[in-house]
Amino acid sequence: NLHKKNLIYYAGVSSQSNGDRFKIEGRAIVPGVKTQDWVSTARVLVEGEEYVGFLRTDGSFAVNDIPSGSYVVEVVTPTFRFEPVRVDITSKGKMRARLVNFIKTSEVIRQPYPLQIRGSPQSYFMRRETWGWTDFLMNPMVMMMVLPLLIIVLLPKVVNTNDPEMRKEMEQSMNMLNPNPELPDVSELMTKLFSGSKGSGKAGGSSKGTRPAVKRR
Amino acid sequence: SLSLFAIIRYCLYILFFTGLSPFLFCRRQQYVGKVRFAHFDTHVQSSKKVVVATEKNVFAALNTRTGELFWRHVDKTGSEGNIDALLLQGADAVLVVGNGRLLRSWEVNIGGLNWEILLDSGSFQSACLVGQQDNVKYVAVLKKTVISLHYLSNGHQKWIENLPDSETVDYQAVYSGGNGEVYVLGVVPHSHIAVVVYSVDDGEILKQFSVEAAWLSNIQTSCAVVGKGMLTCVDSTTLSLYMLDLHTQLQMTQLPLQTLGLEVDPGFHPTLVSTQPNAARQPLSEFFLQLGPEHYVLLQLNNGQIVTLRDFKPAMLVSFATTGEKTVAAVMSPKNKTACGLNLFSADTGRRLLDTTLIFNMDPYGGKPETLYVQAFLKKDDSVGYRAIVQTEDHTLTFLQQPGRVMWTREEALSDVVTMEMVDLPLTGTQAELEGEFGKKADGLMSMVLKRLSSQFILLQAWVSHLWKLFYDARKPRSQVKNDVTIENLSRDEFNLQKMMVMVTASGKLFGIDSKTGTIVWKHYLDNIPSNAAFKLMVQRTTAHFPHPPQCTLLIKDKDTGLATLHVFNPIFGKKSHITPPALPQPILQSLLLPLMDQDYAKVLLLVDDQYKVSAFPSTKNVLQQLQEMASSIFFYLVDSSQGRLSGYRLRTDLSTELIWEVVIPPEIQRIVSVKGKRPNEHVHSQGRVMGDRSVLYKYLNPNLLAIVTESTDSHQERSFVGILLIDGVTGRIIHEAVQRKTKGPVHVVHSENWVVYEYWSTKSRRNEFSVIELYEGMELYNSTVFSSLDRPHAPQVLQQSYIFPSAISTLEATLTEKGITSRHLLIGLPSGGILSLPKMFLDPRRPEIVTEQSREENLIPYAPELPIRTEWYINYNQTISRVRGIYTAPSGLESTCLVVAYGLDIYQTRVYPSKQFDVLKDDYDYMLISSVLFALFFATMISKRLAEVKLLNRAWR
Repeated sequence: NLHKKNLIYYAGVSSQSNGDRFKIEGRAIVPGVKTQDWVSTARVLVEGEEYVGFLRTDGSFAVNDIPSGSYVVEVVTPTFRFEPVRVDITSKGKMRARLVNFIKTSEVIRQPYPLQIRGSPQSYFMRRETWGWTDFLMNPMVMMMVLPLLIIVLLPKVVNTNDPEMRKEMEQSMNMLNPNPELPDVSELMTKLFSGSKGSGKAGGSSKGTRPAVKRR
Repeated sequence: SLSLFAIIRYCLYILFFTGLSPFLFCRRQQYVGKVRFAHFDTHVQSSKKVVVATEKNVFAALNTRTGELFWRHVDKTGSEGNIDALLLQGADAVLVVGNGRLLRSWEVNIGGLNWEILLDSGSFQSACLVGQQDNVKYVAVLKKTVISLHYLSNGHQKWIENLPDSETVDYQAVYSGGNGEVYVLGVVPHSHIAVVVYSVDDGEILKQFSVEAAWLSNIQTSCAVVGKGMLTCVDSTTLSLYMLDLHTQLQMTQLPLQTLGLEVDPGFHPTLVSTQPNAARQPLSEFFLQLGPEHYVLLQLNNGQIVTLRDFKPAMLVSFATTGEKTVAAVMSPKNKTACGLNLFSADTGRRLLDTTLIFNMDPYGGKPETLYVQAFLKKDDSVGYRAIVQTEDHTLTFLQQPGRVMWTREEALSDVVTMEMVDLPLTGTQAELEGEFGKKADGLMSMVLKRLSSQFILLQAWVSHLWKLFYDARKPRSQVKNDVTIENLSRDEFNLQKMMVMVTASGKLFGIDSKTGTIVWKHYLDNIPSNAAFKLMVQRTTAHFPHPPQCTLLIKDKDTGLATLHVFNPIFGKKSHITPPALPQPILQSLLLPLMDQDYAKVLLLVDDQYKVSAFPSTKNVLQQLQEMASSIFFYLVDSSQGRLSGYRLRTDLSTELIWEVVIPPEIQRIVSVKGKRPNEHVHSQGRVMGDRSVLYKYLNPNLLAIVTESTDSHQERSFVGILLIDGVTGRIIHEAVQRKTKGPVHVVHSENWVVYEYWSTKSRRNEFSVIELYEGMELYNSTVFSSLDRPHAPQVLQQSYIFPSAISTLEATLTEKGITSRHLLIGLPSGGILSLPKMFLDPRRPEIVTEQSREENLIPYAPELPIRTEWYINYNQTISRVRGIYTAPSGLESTCLVVAYGLDIYQTRVYPSKQFDVLKDDYDYMLISSVLFALFFATMISKRLAEVKLLNRAWR
C-alpha cells in the first residue's frame, strides 16, 4: 500500500506505449435479419487473415491491435455478402474509410467511419435450366412447325370451301405448292421402313434406295 | 425419317445412362483441433453444450448429444491467436488470447461476442474469476508485472496495480476465495514464496508477506490452494507436502509423505489436483496427489491435518466434477489391454458410488487416454449420474454415457491433415475372386471348367442380390437408405467416382476415408512420430494388380536430423504390411517414385541419402537389374534452399550418383521458397492450340520442367521482389526467368501442361496479383513423337500476362481429369472459407487488349485487369472451410469429373465439372418425358402405317 498512487499513473503510461497500435471499429447489419442469427458464423478479416475480429451480439465489431497502414476490411459469413471497405490509418491514428478500388488504388470515395457495412443475401447457385412443356412449345422450331399446321387445319374452316370458284383457286395454288410429284411421300416411306426392317436387315444395304411412290400408283 | 431414328436412338441411349446429382457428393466435416480447455455449460439444467478452446486457436461449443458444432470461432493462427485461458461463468466464457494481449467474453448461447478489450503489454501468467458474497462479478488477470481486475459484465477495468518487486519475484498464480481478497502468489526461485493480498474493492494492498521455500521453483505445477486458503505444495526432492495458511501467514509446515504412508514412484514429479467449484467460495478441502504415472491418492485437509481418503492404484486419470452441492471424483483405471473402467467416488468420503461404472473401450489402433472431462448431474432420485469426455493421445474425443455407451467420437487429428492420396477401390469381392482364379496355377481341364462355372454362378448370384437391393432401396425414401460403409461392401463403382482417401495427419494418425460418404473406414495411430516430422505419402501399388494387395508407403522424416523411417501399409484396410521396409541409417535428402515396377507390380521407390548414395525399395534382384539398365535415363534434382543451390544428378549403374548440373541462386539476395514440377499422372489431350487463322500453335510440353519461386531477402517494400525460374530438371538449362518488382510472398504456384500460374502480393498497389506464363514451341513441332530434354534445340516462346485478384488467397490448385480433354479450372482457397473455381480461360496470356476477328474466332476473352469473382463459382457454396491449407485433385473414371478434397481445419470433398457434365445426364432428367415421346412416336408410326395402308387401299379402289 506504499506505492499505490504512482502505480496507477505508471499503468496509464504503459498503455500509451502501445500507442502505435489502433483499432478498426464498425458495425455490420443485414436488413430484416436478427443479428443473433448470424453473428456466430461471422468474422471480420483485415487484409486476408492478417488480423481477425469477431462480431458482438449487436453486430458491432472492433479489431484491436492494428498498426498504421492501409487495409481492406471485410466481414465474412457464409450466408451474407458484405462489401469490403478500405481503411487507411495514419501514423497518428487518423482513420479514413473508402471504397475498395484495386485498379485505381489511390482513388478516394469516402465511406462512413466507424464503418457501416450492410449485408445482402448471398446466392451461390445459378438457376438451373429446367425442361418444361412451355419451353418446348415456345421453341422457335416448334412454333414454325405448329403455326403452319394450325393454318392448314383452320384455314379450310374459315374459308368457305363449298364455293366452287374458291375451290378451283385453291387447287391451283396447291398444285403450285407441290411442283414435284416425284418426291416420296413421307408417311409411306416411314411405313415401308418400319414394316420392311426385317427384310432390309437380311438384304444388307440393298433396300436403301427407296422406290419412288409414283411407281406404285 | 432419319431424324426420327436419331431421336429414338438418342432416347434409348439416354435411358441406359444414369443421372448423378452433384449435391449428394459434397461433404464437409468440421473440426476444432486438439482440445486444451473444456468446460461443460451448466448454467442451464438442460444445456447440451460443452465449450472448448483448442491448440488450433479455435473456440467452439459442441453439442453433447451429437458431437456436432453449435458454433465455432476461428482466430488467427500462431501465437497471436493462442488461447491462454478459458473461464466459464454462467452464460459467459472469458478468454485470454495471444499471451495476454486480449480479454474476450463470449455469449455461449448465441456464440456472439459480449466484449473484447485490449490488455496492457506483458506476458500472461494466470487468470481467475473473483467473487464476493456468492456473486462472481470480476475476472483477475495476472501478468508478469501487473495485476488487473475487470468487470465480467462489460470488461471495463476496475483497477490495475503494479506488482511489488516484480524484477525479482516471479509472480505465477492468482487465487481468490470469495472473501473480498485477491491473492497473488509469486516465487523467488530457491529462496522464498511472495504473497501479495489485494482488496477486491479498490486494489489496495492489504497484506504482503514472504515465506521461505528454497525448494520451490514453479507454483503452477506443484502447488494448489486447498480448503480455507491453505496453500499446499508438493516437493519431489524432499518427498513431502508443504502447507501454508494464507490467512495466518505462519511458517510453512513440512509433512513428509512417508508419515502418510505414501511413496512416490522413482523419478516421478508428483502433482496436485484440487477443485474450486464456485469462484465465490473456497476450494474444497479434498484433493488428489499424483504419486506416479498410474498412482493417485485422494487426500483431505481436516483441521490442518492431512487424511488419506483413498488410494487409487492403478489409476490413469482423475477428475473432479460438481453438481449442485455435491462434488464427485471420477477415476479412470485400466481394466485390461483394450478397456478402461471409469468410476465415481464421493469426494468428501472417498466412498465408491454404486452403479457408476463405465467401460471405455480403447481403440487398438488409437492412442492412450490423456485427459478426462466429467459432467456430473443429479438424477431424479438424487443420486449422481455423469457423462465423460475422454481425450486420447491421437487427439480423439470420445463422449461416454453410462453404462459405457459411446455417444460420439470426434477425430480431431483430422484438423491437421498434412498430405493425402486417393486410391482406387478394389473391384467387388466376387469379381476379385474371379480374377484370383485366373491368377492361380492351372490344375486340370475339368477342375478349371468347374471353377469357371462356379465363379460364374457366384457372379450371377451377386448380380441378382444387387438387383434386389436396388429394388428394395428404391422404394424407400432417399434419406432412409443406409449408408453403412464396411470393408466388405467397399467396391469400385461404374465410373470410379468412389475412392479411398488416405489422409496423413500431423499427429501421426492415418485415416482411410470413403470419398462418397465421408465415413472413416480405418484409422491407425503411429506412436513415436517426432513432433516436427515431414511426411510424404506414395502409392507403390494400386488395386489393379490383384492378387497383390495395394500398397502405400509413408516416408516419415525428422526435419531436424533428416533421419527417416518408412511405414508400409494397405491403403484399403489400413493394415501394416508384412513387408519389412529397409532401415535407413543415413539422413534422407530426396525420395522419388519411379515408374519401374518389380515382378510384384510395386513401383520402385528410390531414396537418396546425404552421401548421395541411392537405395531402392523394394530392392529385389529384378529391381536392381532393371535399375542398372535404366540408370542412364534416371535423373533427379536436389534443392538446398539455405545455400540457394539446385543440383541435378544422374544415376550410375552401381547406384551411386553423378552431379551433372548446378544452379546457384545467391542466398544473400533471394531465397528459394518453392520448387514445383508437373504432376506425373497428368494427361494433356491436345498438343497445340488452333488459332483464328486455322494454324496451330504447339505447346511446349516438357515433363521435366521445374518452376522455382524465389523471394528477395530484402523485405523493404520498394526493393522486394518475387522471381520465377523455369529450369529443365534433366539438363539444368534455364528456360525462362521472370521477376516481379515491388512484390512479396507468400507465393502460391500451380505448374501444369505448358503453363505456370502464380500469385503474389504487390506491395506498391497493395493488392494480390496473378501472373501466368505459357510456353509454346511455335507453329512447328520439333519432334512430335517423343519429348527429350537432351534434344530440344529451340527455346520455347514465352507469353506472360498478369491480373489483379480482388481477394487474398490461402491455397491454389488446378483441376485434373482422366484424359485432359475437359478444360482446366483453378481451385482457389480463400481466407473467407470459400473455394473458387476460376476457369483457366481467364488466365490466358493471349487474352487480347483489342478484340479482333481472329481472337473472337479463338474464343479469347478480351483482357481486363481485374479477375472476376462470381458467387456461382464457389464450389462449396455456404459450406465454408476454415484455414484451407491444401486442395487435392484426382481424376475420376468420367472425363468430365474431377474429384476435389480441400483440407485445412475442415475437410470438404466434392466433385467438379469444369466443362459441365457433358458425358452425364442431369439428375432431374425427365425419363417419363423421353419414354412417353418414344412410345408416342412408336404408336404414331403404327397408326400412320395403318392409315397409309387404308389410304392405299382406297386409292386402289378408286
